[in-house]
Amino acid sequence: MMGRWDDGSVRAGAKMLISLKGVSKKFRKNGKEITVVNDCNLEIAENEFLVIVGPTGSGKSTLLKLIAGFEAPTAGELRVGGNIIKGPGADRGMIFQEYALLPWRTVLKNVELGLEFKGGKKEAENRELAMKYIDMVGLSYAVNKYPVELSGGMKRRASLAMILVTKPKILLMDGPFNALDSKTKMTMHTEISRIWKHEHNTIIFVTSELDEAVKLSDRIAVMNKAGRISKIFKNDLPRPRFGKAALAPDFHNRFIGLREEVLNEVKAGAGLAVCEY
Amino acid sequence: MGDRIEKKQQSGTGKAGAFLAERGFYVLGVLLFLVVWQAASMLKLFGSDFSEAFSPWAAALALIEMARNGDITRHAIPSLRRVLVSLAFAILVALPVGVLVGYFKRLEQLTYVVFQFMRMISPLAWMPIAIIMFGVGDVSVTFLLWLVAIWPLILNTAHGAGRVSPLWLNMAKTMGAMDAGILRKIIIPAAIPDMLTGLRLAVGVSWIILVPAEMLGVPDGLGYFILDTRDRFRYDQLMATIVVIGAIGYLLDSVNRWLISKYSWKI
Repeated sequence: MMGRWDDGSVRAGAKMLISLKGVSKKFRKNGKEITVVNDCNLEIAENEFLVIVGPTGSGKSTLLKLIAGFEAPTAGELRVGGNIIKGPGADRGMIFQEYALLPWRTVLKNVELGLEFKGGKKEAENRELAMKYIDMVGLSYAVNKYPVELSGGMKRRASLAMILVTKPKILLMDGPFNALDSKTKMTMHTEISRIWKHEHNTIIFVTSELDEAVKLSDRIAVMNKAGRISKIFKNDLPRPRFGKAALAPDFHNRFIGLREEVLNEVKAGAGLAVCEY
Repeated sequence: MGDRIEKKQQSGTGKAGAFLAERGFYVLGVLLFLVVWQAASMLKLFGSDFSEAFSPWAAALALIEMARNGDITRHAIPSLRRVLVSLAFAILVALPVGVLVGYFKRLEQLTYVVFQFMRMISPLAWMPIAIIMFGVGDVSVTFLLWLVAIWPLILNTAHGAGRVSPLWLNMAKTMGAMDAGILRKIIIPAAIPDMLTGLRLAVGVSWIILVPAEMLGVPDGLGYFILDTRDRFRYDQLMATIVVIGAIGYLLDSVNRWLISKYSWKI
């Protein structure tokens, strides 16, 4: 039941969690109809780390919004755990490209928000848990600052902690590390891999950086300018992919090799668009 | 040029200099106002017979007299009570209505014309109806004040609730928030700056309407006392009462400005 362009198989015996069948999304802009997501087929297994790459305007973010349930598809069907997606839900935590921090709450209170919604726990427990995640994203020095006082990168990290603390089963991440400096980005890569390993989330991660894609993914889906998934690459590189492991010559060669392949696919997808329009 | 002025201020005479540089023009404005007032009374602009009584000096003396014999508290307290009671009832009605109207687009459309229409009617126009409904007295006055206070509160609250970012709502939903939680933790706090702006406008307009409303047959209040001083030809007391009305109004507005600066969030 894999998608048409899907030549990368997922782990043997894995249970399918998310399935997209013939999903399209069209918008009307100035009277013209634009197809942003075009007949996408995709199956994502439980505990899989799928990265979606593609040139800007290839509909990556829109595809993620469809899975999140913020947008309804024009055609096709999206399911999570067998149920058709009808709207946003607590099973799918979205980390936005924009900052969704509440301006009247401090960093700490923002991170506590999701725990407050869940309820049930004591304030002290919430605080402790929130502090743990704030620490993880390296913001413990700014817990009592308001969003207006934070830099772009700090806001990004705060919104990340805000969602991670709620431990959603499925994590939808739209360019979550885009604005970070390289050192913080490396920390976040290690952290997100660790969280994924320990909490067995399913992660769908949109990015335009191929290094990031190869580092993090089980599979890499490439979208092209026409809004189609042109190819899905299987990423067999052994984990962990950080630190010493990444220095082994064999690993390094395979890493570069895969990145090259994906890059060519992305380039082809972007070039195709130039011919079409 | 700008640099020069700044340097001059820095080398000024310490604390007093700094105070004058910062607040001097506020004080100067008040002094100029008193000079104009005094000039108006000396030029007999208030009429040839009573101009003396209308002077700031006469008003100041009357003010001391009224403070001593308790006239100020006797009339200011009922006035403040009427405004605060009507405001409390206005808040009770306007905040929920405003949040609902702001949040639900259809409800906003349903109420838009009626609210904008009602808002433009001076509550004094309702006075005969109020008296038929509630009789002459406190209740009628409070009702009229309530009627003037609800519109700025409703419309501003609705505006605030309406500009809640869809991003926040989406995020709350992905966190599994229920409607009540979204209302309590996202929509209401988001609307607080606008609610406070509404409150400031409501207090301002209530205080203005208070004086004519208290001329409608209540036995006390600053509005009543204006008529009383006129009937007793105590124009010095009349001017002093006007000063009291302005001062309390200014104070109420200061409290509101303080609330806004303390409880408003910034983007």
